[in-house]
Amino acid sequence: MKWLALAGGLVAVLFAAVVFGPAAVPLGELGHSPIVWQLRVPRAVLGMLVGGSLGVAGASLQSLVRNPLADPFLLGLSGGAGLGAVTAIALHLPGSWALPLAAFAGALGALGLVFRLGLVGGAELDPRVLLLGGVAVGAFCAAVTTAIVSLAEASELRNAFLWLWGGLSGASWDTVRVLLVYVPLPLLVLFGAARPLDLLVLGEEQARHLGADVTAVKRRVYLAASFLTAAAVATAGVVGFVGLIVPHLARSLWGGRHRSLLPASFLAGGALLVAADTLARVAVAPRELPVGVVTALVGVPLFVLLLRRWTAY
Amino acid sequence: MRCWAHRAPLAGWLLALAIGACRSSADRRSTPDRGGPFSVVDDAGRAVALAAPARRIVSLAPSITELLFAIGAGDRVVGRTTWCKYPLAATAVPSVGDGLDPNVEAIAARRPDLVVLYRSALTQSASGRLAALGIPTLVLRHDRLLDVGRTARLLSRLSGRPSAGDSLARLIDSILAVPPPAAIRRRRLAFVVWDNPPMTIGGGSFLDELVGLAGGENVFHDIRSASATVSLETIAARDPDWILILTDSASRPPAWSTRAEWRVVRAVRAGRFLYLPAELFGQPSPRTPEAVATLRRLLEATP
Amino acid sequence: MDSVLILDVTDVTFRYPKAGRDALRGVTCAVRSAELVAVLGPNGSGKTTLARVALGAHAPRAGTARILGRAAHAWPRRELARVVGVVTQHEDNLFPQRVRETVLLGRYARLSPWGAERAEDHAAVARALARCDVAGLADRWLWTLSGGEYQRVRIARALAQEPRLLVLDEPTASLDVRHEMELFELVRTLVEREGLAAVIVTHDVNLAARFADRLVLLSDGAVVAAGAAADVLRRDVAEDVFGWPLAVSSFDGRPQITPLRRPS
Repeated sequence: MKWLALAGGLVAVLFAAVVFGPAAVPLGELGHSPIVWQLRVPRAVLGMLVGGSLGVAGASLQSLVRNPLADPFLLGLSGGAGLGAVTAIALHLPGSWALPLAAFAGALGALGLVFRLGLVGGAELDPRVLLLGGVAVGAFCAAVTTAIVSLAEASELRNAFLWLWGGLSGASWDTVRVLLVYVPLPLLVLFGAARPLDLLVLGEEQARHLGADVTAVKRRVYLAASFLTAAAVATAGVVGFVGLIVPHLARSLWGGRHRSLLPASFLAGGALLVAADTLARVAVAPRELPVGVVTALVGVPLFVLLLRRWTAY
Repeated sequence: MRCWAHRAPLAGWLLALAIGACRSSADRRSTPDRGGPFSVVDDAGRAVALAAPARRIVSLAPSITELLFAIGAGDRVVGRTTWCKYPLAATAVPSVGDGLDPNVEAIAARRPDLVVLYRSALTQSASGRLAALGIPTLVLRHDRLLDVGRTARLLSRLSGRPSAGDSLARLIDSILAVPPPAAIRRRRLAFVVWDNPPMTIGGGSFLDELVGLAGGENVFHDIRSASATVSLETIAARDPDWILILTDSASRPPAWSTRAEWRVVRAVRAGRFLYLPAELFGQPSPRTPEAVATLRRLLEATP
Repeated sequence: MDSVLILDVTDVTFRYPKAGRDALRGVTCAVRSAELVAVLGPNGSGKTTLARVALGAHAPRAGTARILGRAAHAWPRRELARVVGVVTQHEDNLFPQRVRETVLLGRYARLSPWGAERAEDHAAVARALARCDVAGLADRWLWTLSGGEYQRVRIARALAQEPRLLVLDEPTASLDVRHEMELFELVRTLVEREGLAAVIVTHDVNLAARFADRLVLLSDGAVVAAGAAADVLRRDVAEDVFGWPLAVSSFDGRPQITPLRRPS
């Protein structure tokens, strides 16, 4: 049945990620090659965690803001992360974790701003305000980032944009360990909100009458999804389309019940990103494509197919 | 090296591809005379003819500014970009802004009789607008070592000092003619320009040429473009002996060298970094022989 | 069966924040088990507001609104959902869903966040579907249903909550004659056979008069008349409230109003 197929697909994709790569590692040496164990395996695990986080965050947010086109990055987080990263480089912040930490802080800053906007005038996280506020904050951050980059001297700043395009190059067991500590809590919060999210899809008033504590659920879901996205951006840059496409793919096979939709989105998102990353590493070897480009190239035709199915209903 | 656009990275990719494509069809003819001592054919294939030697030159690339001063035409430079910092005398010249996206008004305000641009898609439109204002423009490609001599000759003709350009060109060409030392141990090197994603210098860059002249071997020589993103595992697999870092100041291992994923690369683990002053190694220039000598010294000093 | 006071609204006054006038002025309304109460009134008379305050969505400025003796505003949402089933005016189902799934959502208040649905939940759903006569539609997609079928499915969902009170806000607004009658008949049956209390907010004065036990006529936030249909739908009162000349006739023992044409 479907879950077996998904699990099987995931295992196959992880296997491919470990076996294939631009550096030719003979099968016999896979067991003790440092390239495999220190680079490919943590990279595959990171891809799983980041892709899965984006998938779940996307599914939750689409239900929360009641918009099938919602994407985790629509909430301004990517703009904030980019601004954080560029600031870290411009200020020459020391340490090898400076860039991801600054990007994370930037994303949280943007999150705080949009959240605050969503509460203005007693709006209580009105979905339209969240979306519009996210777009506005994101655009503002992007503009400031571009201004800094075009005015400043360091050519390194221009490379910050390459980082922002997304990539799992920074993957190591250290990064994986950090995420493994960080990701489970927001993930559990979202899985636990599966039932209220089912209700929320009917509309807030009806959801309230059916027993959901709508205000609390919206807050929980928004914050948890944003924290997951912030961590994803900080470690892997902006990987587009995963948060948008994967929920729809999962929905078309598992239906709208979040109890199955959310876990399916996690697994499918992880599989998609790991597959895209393997392709990114191998397609133009020895060069590497930004993984955001691959997810877009793969994701857009998939999305078009989905659209046709949807309008054919 | 200037292939990285400072706008959206996609534009940067397209730009890099375009420049890569242009490279293979570069116009490397030496200057045929087409009437008049002050006429040349530039790297865009256009004939540029001046009635008199250029007296007010605006240079839109640091390498060109440096070259103009090197051939003794520094006193004729009336405009430079904000990045033109060498030689020191150049900083006294007023800046007209950015070179890759030229500010036509600021350039025109200097009343030049010749504007020298670096050849790229972005400067093409500026070139057209300057021509519409009646200002002659010279488009130069100045990416490889071969270009230095040729560019020197072009500029010296137009500024009326052909002998200066010729002698400089001969000097540079002589350096290029010197065979690299018969390296018993040919050092395998890799540049790391950025860490996430890892960016290196490929065979299409003059830095690669420098490495070859100095007796080393760029492990990414097979990549045809000037710079490229590569997988970390590729760097680990190709296992360079030393990693070259272009730096303005520090001679300390870069911050990313402590990251766990980079320590898979043997050279990073062993701390085998060589630091090259970005000023000297940034672009091909009259000081290139000095750069080659510096690199050669560094390599010979390595165990 | 003995009649329990389910909903008790006493002398409630309420004003929306930043509004210039009270939306409800001294409104009193009571609903008991096995009783169908219809709330009538022209647009803007406060019908939906009354429903909201009665269900605790807003706290009244004066007066009390109680459900089963407890202040409506103090009921935790989840507990309240086990007692009151509400079918709102508008529902905007974003993603495709099947009938059975949407009715199952009514069990939310009785499920734990992590536990799976139990046999009793599925049984409650099946019962609700049967009572609303939509069992045959259980596996259909919602968007393939007609308006009337869709409303009955929503009522089934409210019934799946196993409530003691059913509140329907303009349930027949866009339904044709047959579906409107079916809906009123359904509610009437539920009230009589199962002892449910029900409140219908509606524009259809005549059907309300025929099916409801009691009417509450609102105008401008105040109760103009309440009680049996014959007492409420008197020509002078009705004309005054609805602002249009009417004729009152009788059908099935209940008053029916017929709007007259304006004299030219």
